[in-house]
Amino acid sequence: MAKSAPAKMESKLVHIKVNVNGVDYEHDLEPRLLLVHYIRDVLGLTGTHIGCDTSNCGACTVILNGKSVKSCTMFAVQANGAKILTIEGLAKNGELHPIQKAFWENHALQCGFCTPGLIMQAYWFLQENPNPTEEEIRKGISGNLCRCTGYQNIVKAIMAASKEMKR
Amino acid sequence: MNIYSFYSFHHRIKFICLDQFIYMSMIPRPFMYFSPTTENEALALLKDYKSDAKILAGGMSLIPLMKLRLVSPNYIIDINKVESLSYIKQEGNKIRIGALTRHHDLEKSDILKKVLPIISETASLVADPQVRNMGTIGGSLSHADPAGDLGSCIIALNGDIVIKSESKERTVKIDNFFVDTFTTSLEPDEMVKEIIVQVPKGRSGGAYLKLERRAGDFAIAAVATQISLDNKGICNYAGIGLTAVGPTNLRAKKAEDFLLGKELNDKIIEEAAEIASNEAKPGDDPLRGSAEYKKAMVKVLTKRALKISLNRAGGG
Amino acid sequence: MAVTEFTWIGKPIKRLEDRRFITGKGKYIDDISLPRMCYAKILRSPYAHARIKKIDISGALKVRGVVAVVTGNDLAKHFNPLPNFGDPRVVQYPLAVDKVRYVGEGVVAVVAEDKYVAEDALEKIDVEYEVLPALIDPEKAMQETKVLVHESLGSNIVFQKTMRFGNFEKDYSTADIIVKEKLRWNRSSAEPLDTAGAIADYDEGTGILKIWANSLTFTNFIWLYANSLKIPTNKLIIQPVNAGGSFGSKFYAHKVACLAGMLSMLTRRPVKYVEDRVDHILNSDHHGSDRIYEAELAVTKDGIFKALRVKVIDDYGAYFQFGVGTHGNSLAQVTGPYTISSVEYTVIAVLTNKNQQGAYRGFGSEVTNWMLERLVESARRKLGMDPVEIRMKNFIPPDKFPYKIPTGNMYDSGNYPAVLRKALQVIDYEKWRKIKEEAKKEGRLIGIGIASAQDRSVFSATEFWFWFEKPAAPVTSTPESVTLSIDPMGKITVTLYSQAMWGNSPETVAAQVVAEEFGIDPYDVNVIYADTSRALPATGPGGSRFSIMVAGAIKGAAEILKAKLKKAAATIMEVKEEDLEVKEGMVKIKGTTKGMKIAELAALVHMFRHNYNFPKELTSGLTADYTFDHPYTTLPKEDRSDLGVFYPIMAHACHIAVVEVDRETGFVKLLDYAAVHDCGTIINPKTLEGMIIGGVAQGIGTALYEQHLYDQNGNPLNADFTGYIIPTAIEIPNIKVDHVVTPSPFTPYGIKGAGEGGRMIAPAAIPNAVEDALEDFGIKVNEIPINYEKIYRALKEKSK
Repeated sequence: MAKSAPAKMESKLVHIKVNVNGVDYEHDLEPRLLLVHYIRDVLGLTGTHIGCDTSNCGACTVILNGKSVKSCTMFAVQANGAKILTIEGLAKNGELHPIQKAFWENHALQCGFCTPGLIMQAYWFLQENPNPTEEEIRKGISGNLCRCTGYQNIVKAIMAASKEMKR
Repeated sequence: MNIYSFYSFHHRIKFICLDQFIYMSMIPRPFMYFSPTTENEALALLKDYKSDAKILAGGMSLIPLMKLRLVSPNYIIDINKVESLSYIKQEGNKIRIGALTRHHDLEKSDILKKVLPIISETASLVADPQVRNMGTIGGSLSHADPAGDLGSCIIALNGDIVIKSESKERTVKIDNFFVDTFTTSLEPDEMVKEIIVQVPKGRSGGAYLKLERRAGDFAIAAVATQISLDNKGICNYAGIGLTAVGPTNLRAKKAEDFLLGKELNDKIIEEAAEIASNEAKPGDDPLRGSAEYKKAMVKVLTKRALKISLNRAGGG
Repeated sequence: MAVTEFTWIGKPIKRLEDRRFITGKGKYIDDISLPRMCYAKILRSPYAHARIKKIDISGALKVRGVVAVVTGNDLAKHFNPLPNFGDPRVVQYPLAVDKVRYVGEGVVAVVAEDKYVAEDALEKIDVEYEVLPALIDPEKAMQETKVLVHESLGSNIVFQKTMRFGNFEKDYSTADIIVKEKLRWNRSSAEPLDTAGAIADYDEGTGILKIWANSLTFTNFIWLYANSLKIPTNKLIIQPVNAGGSFGSKFYAHKVACLAGMLSMLTRRPVKYVEDRVDHILNSDHHGSDRIYEAELAVTKDGIFKALRVKVIDDYGAYFQFGVGTHGNSLAQVTGPYTISSVEYTVIAVLTNKNQQGAYRGFGSEVTNWMLERLVESARRKLGMDPVEIRMKNFIPPDKFPYKIPTGNMYDSGNYPAVLRKALQVIDYEKWRKIKEEAKKEGRLIGIGIASAQDRSVFSATEFWFWFEKPAAPVTSTPESVTLSIDPMGKITVTLYSQAMWGNSPETVAAQVVAEEFGIDPYDVNVIYADTSRALPATGPGGSRFSIMVAGAIKGAAEILKAKLKKAAATIMEVKEEDLEVKEGMVKIKGTTKGMKIAELAALVHMFRHNYNFPKELTSGLTADYTFDHPYTTLPKEDRSDLGVFYPIMAHACHIAVVEVDRETGFVKLLDYAAVHDCGTIINPKTLEGMIIGGVAQGIGTALYEQHLYDQNGNPLNADFTGYIIPTAIEIPNIKVDHVVTPSPFTPYGIKGAGEGGRMIAPAAIPNAVEDALEDFGIKVNEIPINYEKIYRALKEKSK
């Protein structure tokens, strides 16, 4: 089945400069390259995952200029000049971030696939709301799907992290 | 392959000459990319490329369509760096919201929470937190998905849309902005600049209620209501916007007219809700509900939303 | 049997696995790259049923960066069909040959240097189809004689059989009441966040094909893959890879691994094929059960269940890889926790133009549980009995175990009344009953639903073939192996052979068992996953078997090593072997504190063989392999009146759900939920609780949100996560989990399986709760998932 696709588009490469986890990068990219593929395949940071392709599951969540975003629904070229934080950038000198610690302590992961996206979303959420109720946490992570845990321990972990981070 | 299954599948895109299930791709076709930093730059590009181009704002509706290859513009004009388009300002009794204002900012805005909380409430129900960080009001309205939440909210507030092209600026009432499913009255070289809504006078209250199968889903039906009462408790403003029950966001005009000049009590509200449900024009959606069910839900949601609005207006 | 106190078993220790996952170093299949690797993308069928007339790949071949374009015919020319435990006449290749049988079936594979290029090349392929009528409704497909999913079968009914157990005729005809229900369980699927994927690398130099795959349970069946790939069985190596969830969908997922293998062999390059979400929803190896029941329960007027009669039509989709294994599975516990004395079970397996069924957490028994509980509710309403009363009346008494059910299977241990009582306590049943009555005065509809059901574990191979009078391959082995080794510094490594980590905490479980055996710190244990080149016999996870089988294998290997350590210590310390025991990381003289550290002994055994007068048989080194076979399985009788013992490790649970139904919208909201399980001895309460909650969450998804929908032409209506909705943190309430422990007399430590549990019972409890909320309207809820619009309509009807 041949579709009448538009005339072949020779897209010009776009030069971007981006800071990811504190490291500066410069690349010439096809505009259609998705940010998640840039992070995973070009930068080799495979901690950010792809779970659904239609912006539902949140496994691709990263922090871009201080906001949590679904990197599968952005083009890498949109990140020109931006500061990005991925899961690999959370632990400092091998010392786990309180959210990471809380996930471990509260058994908030089983297969671990949704975990980086959830941790990054929790990171942004707790900056917005450092003192959340359980209901607020559940709403705050409603853009992240988990198929293993039923969310209960994830909510516990985020609550525990919020208390730890206030100290 | 019938048009209908695509309809629900791809967020209700109308498909012409589709004879089979095409669900091929998760990667967009190639395109040229521009990243203007001023409104003028953006509008100049739009003038050059017109229908060959698409404005990229939040991208939360556009990029999924591009990944599915249902939409493949040759040129993308990314306006995310046009900071002058992102604002929420109160000027007298007008609220002016820039097109690039993110749903998240609408949700958290102190100004809106104080004078028009229905906007914050509606914004808080769009998709999910990450999508709300990127999605914009201008993008949402321009996309004109009948299941879009903000459209009904702006209808209930009788908002105005300020539209700009390189050569001119014009203002259009929200009722004249939505033309058909995924179709607005924007010309190919135009884009939304700003949304203007009036701060209600006196006692006013609004609510947005959304019935969805699951958090973050598109609505089965949703209703935005805003009412104002004069100092005798009589309704002197009523705005009712309906989501996901027609080719566009709809105004329940007859229901609104019915409420004006009346004291709102349970019986009046019930009747208004019945009228509103008859103004809904839904189709059958195998995922989210038959037309009959959607209409019935419009009645339930309108009734509930009006009661909450009345309560918030200090009446009832 | 008393519950023993252990040192490490039963402790809620934090997992060993987590560090790599919380730091983003998980190394799932899509995170792995090989030099010169290319990417495969699949062109899928847009039709549910069509003949392939012509495929023109010339346009795709011209796209720069395309390495190969492969059709089903190419595969059929070079390779054998995919492995198949169902019916040899139902032939399947990873890409369709001659005919497409469901929307989404793979037709052409493009292999390219870059995945974006591969995607672009798909658009340049031209396939000409002759569209055929689509068979979507299984009841219609059954009757249809001209349009066939597989012409070789001559029918769309691929299998049909009635089995009777016990004295069915007598029980059925002498019952006072027979309740009959027509039930519909629609198809859903596991949908783990990580789809199936594989990287295959064919090395022309050695003739070895190595496949990295997140498929599980491959070790014992690798020779079947090799057969499909037409490669010598000892030249195929499968390397396990961390998997992001399975829930059955990675159980023996052969299509992706074999396709990657075939493409690599054809292109002589490493090829990566990772399904995207649409691929996975449309084309995975594993959709769940899709059943229409006519089910009857014969009951006395006092509410005693006598006989069960089941007629079930199961829509298997277009292929039949496991035969009716999902029904064989059901026969292990078809009478539930009750003393039902006879069963008549008729299964009709139908093929349609949909994706194939496979495994989804429960493997068909979760459906049987639901079916039985629907009948129990129907019976109790007819008799005006209380839900607790009728169950208590029919439970197998705690002193009757091991208990043989009419089908021949045994239940090892259990105390069903205690589990129900505890569940009532945990949910605070009386409190909710009061709230329900109060709420009625306000016009609110609150309901409480109880479900007591079984969760069988440790499958035996017989359930796949006892359906056939003359089975082609009456396989009976389902072993599991480990290798334990103690290095010269005394550090222990456990090698697992049939899987990688997929969420089930294998490293933590293995470490806790090793720690228990040797008295060491579990965090000192290293667990690794071997590829199949070094594999011992291993069946892998599935049917909640893994913890038990691995524990058995570890125990066996530990005994060998402990004996060797004692032998060495006996020589060095000059005492008798029988006076020594391994405890607290040492080999000690019994009853004293004297002994030698394992680390010390290990160094000597490894490096200092000839410094001591060790016996001849004490060779250098400390490594033990152990293969643990199914602890208790027997063969079916020839006439199949008794199927033998095939799933005797019988966990059990009682779930109680509290819901509120919105009488104006029909929406169901979960207000409270309790899950009390009996999984025998618990290895790690924290991970067990996590599994139960996760299972309940999937059960909630099954009961309220998930269904694969098709239009009348077989077009899937929700092939992505926008349409196919899995629950978020907002839909799943807090689940209250508690336990009753009746250790198994047949397993190491008395462990029973737990992995499937939550989903085995939740879909049974929730409809009971909804019906309870609607009891004044007499509305029955006989379909899964529960459809809110249907509730709305039923309420509307009743209020007229």
